[in-house]
Amino acid sequence: MTRNAHSDALHAAVQRFAAGDRAISFGDLALQIATFQREHSAGFERLLASRGGALTTVETVPGVPSDAFRLARVAVHPESEDAARFATSGTTGSGHGIHAMRRLDTYQALALRFGRSALLSGPSPRRVVALAPRHGEPPTSSLGYMMAMFMVDFEQAAPDSARAPERWLIDERGVNLGELERAGARALSAGEDLLVLATSFALVALLDALEGRTVRVPERTVVMQTGGFKGKSREIAPDELRRSVARAFCISEARVISEYGMTELTSQLYEATLPGAALQAERHGQAGLYFEPAWLRVVPVDPISLDPVAEGEVGIARIIDLGNVDSAIAIQTQDRVRRVDGGIQLLGRAHGAPPRGCSLAVEEFLAALAQ
Amino acid sequence: MTDFTARRARLEPLLSSARSLADASTERGQAARKRLCSSGLSPEGIDFAFARCLEIAPEEREIEALIGSTATAQVAHVLLSANVFVAAHRAIAIGLAASDTVRVRPSRREPEMAELLLAGAPGAFQIVSELSPHAGDRLWAYGSDETLDEVAVTLPPGVAFHAHGSGFGVGVIDGSVTDTAVSELLPRLAEDIALFDQRGCLSPRVLLVSGGPDAARDVARALSLELEQLETRIPRGRLEPHEAAEITAYRDTASFTGQVFAAGLGFVSAGSDGQWLLPPSGRNLHVLPTRDALRSLSGLRPMITSCAFAGEAALRTSLRRSLPGARLCQFGEMQRPPFDGPVDRRDL
Repeated sequence: MTRNAHSDALHAAVQRFAAGDRAISFGDLALQIATFQREHSAGFERLLASRGGALTTVETVPGVPSDAFRLARVAVHPESEDAARFATSGTTGSGHGIHAMRRLDTYQALALRFGRSALLSGPSPRRVVALAPRHGEPPTSSLGYMMAMFMVDFEQAAPDSARAPERWLIDERGVNLGELERAGARALSAGEDLLVLATSFALVALLDALEGRTVRVPERTVVMQTGGFKGKSREIAPDELRRSVARAFCISEARVISEYGMTELTSQLYEATLPGAALQAERHGQAGLYFEPAWLRVVPVDPISLDPVAEGEVGIARIIDLGNVDSAIAIQTQDRVRRVDGGIQLLGRAHGAPPRGCSLAVEEFLAALAQ
Repeated sequence: MTDFTARRARLEPLLSSARSLADASTERGQAARKRLCSSGLSPEGIDFAFARCLEIAPEEREIEALIGSTATAQVAHVLLSANVFVAAHRAIAIGLAASDTVRVRPSRREPEMAELLLAGAPGAFQIVSELSPHAGDRLWAYGSDETLDEVAVTLPPGVAFHAHGSGFGVGVIDGSVTDTAVSELLPRLAEDIALFDQRGCLSPRVLLVSGGPDAARDVARALSLELEQLETRIPRGRLEPHEAAEITAYRDTASFTGQVFAAGLGFVSAGSDGQWLLPPSGRNLHVLPTRDALRSLSGLRPMITSCAFAGEAALRTSLRRSLPGARLCQFGEMQRPPFDGPVDRRDL
């Protein structure tokens, strides 16, 4: 079987798995993808060899450090076959990495399937806007691409409607408050729900622009917030941000849903608090607890040995994402996490060595390189 | 007594104190070694640092340079960092060159060396728990950029601030260097790496080798063997958990992006041109092939404190021009720059 035929077969298997077909288990499918990646990724082969080379269970699949995306191409296929190249945002000033995707249909299928279950609470018509800048062509932001997908799918709209400027409420002048208010008014008059997709720092900018005022929107409005601040705005603690956003939109805090995603991944995690949403019905989650889709697993591991830690203990997240067929099935992040009540608590990034004396920290180094 | 003579005289008790600490045959020298275990270095690592890096017999011209380059002050304040315990000696010497009143605030994590030096030079300077400089005073501060930023905003007007922050050392091996010469310099580079378990701002983290990936890989492999061998003589000390975690992350990243060779408890990685990776402290080094060392270093110039060099004189001259703030030296000398002022000469 050629590489692409093999990849296509794995994509199909992942999509079937996501649709509920359990003819093959998560672990077996993960191992099949890892074996495929070992054949076609020299970097993964070396990483595996450094751990003894065995791929016997899903636990033996090493996580590719997320930093590797900044330093090397993490893909089984050549650049000429890229369908999309999503740039990692990195931390302020640090270098960008690329997550190259050979096919986008698996990304679309997985993101939409879990996004619907976390963010949609009923059959009523809805309007979707993004507190984000309009993404370019070809898209380089996986988040922007996902937001556009949600606009089209959740509204059952024409694909090019996602390019409408009134959907993207951040421009070079900052938050377009007027357009947000118009979106709220239109949704109210049409009897639609409103879904606002936003990054945390865009929400802070919105709160700053509102100066304590509120935005008139339907009461069934949902706000999806994602991402950290990465030095782009003042920082607000997650609980406070949730409270402030709920107050600004005059909605309950349960309707502010946090998403956890990374450019290096194909799939996302969500909180399960939205009343009426499928994920909430299944998990009854509380704020601050993120749930994985069936095709993704977060394994908290010890930062030194990389062995899984006991349930309830803090580790750094190794994320096994079946959607990453053509890049890295397992990603080793530096995000501190804890598994609680079937969900994942995010506890912030494990900063490498806190600056010791005059020794240079990696983040400073990366920032200098980027400049 | 001339001003210079007075300033020179203030240094002598400190130098004498350092000399007696360095002598392992004395009770004081032995006690010092015991107390300095708090540095995290192995006993052999402490001995090695004493032997190689504590400036107990600087040349007179170095002392003249140190005094000549140090501005005077009503009161000299010295904020010490941890990591490189012998650094307290030079830092306090600079303070003494500046003023007859020197107040030193040691690092809370490593207060030993300042106390040991004071015990051998009673009254030469004061150890304080907080520094409170006033207008007309000078403050020499050593530490992370974060710490220095915090200090800077608390200073009253009129205090001269000399900040020495984060940085790292690099090595450059020119294409003109023979294989034999490379194999001779690698043990010296291994020592530069091993000193202070690589926690200092002069510690080498990256080595640029003229040539292609194969050349870098060969040097990386040979260096890993040198480090492994050195570790049997001078074991690595203990690491903080976050340091060990950083090494794990570095090892895996480097394994994915290039090749990694175990080097005792540390690692040496080899990458391809432009593939910069900053290994964490703990005796790790990244070897990069390069066709143009100056171009490779250009973006990182403000961070480079020290550059060991082997090769043609023309490149040395160019490096000196390109890295004006870095101390250019031979391999094996990165951790013992002349006693002529702060080790960090970058204009920050």
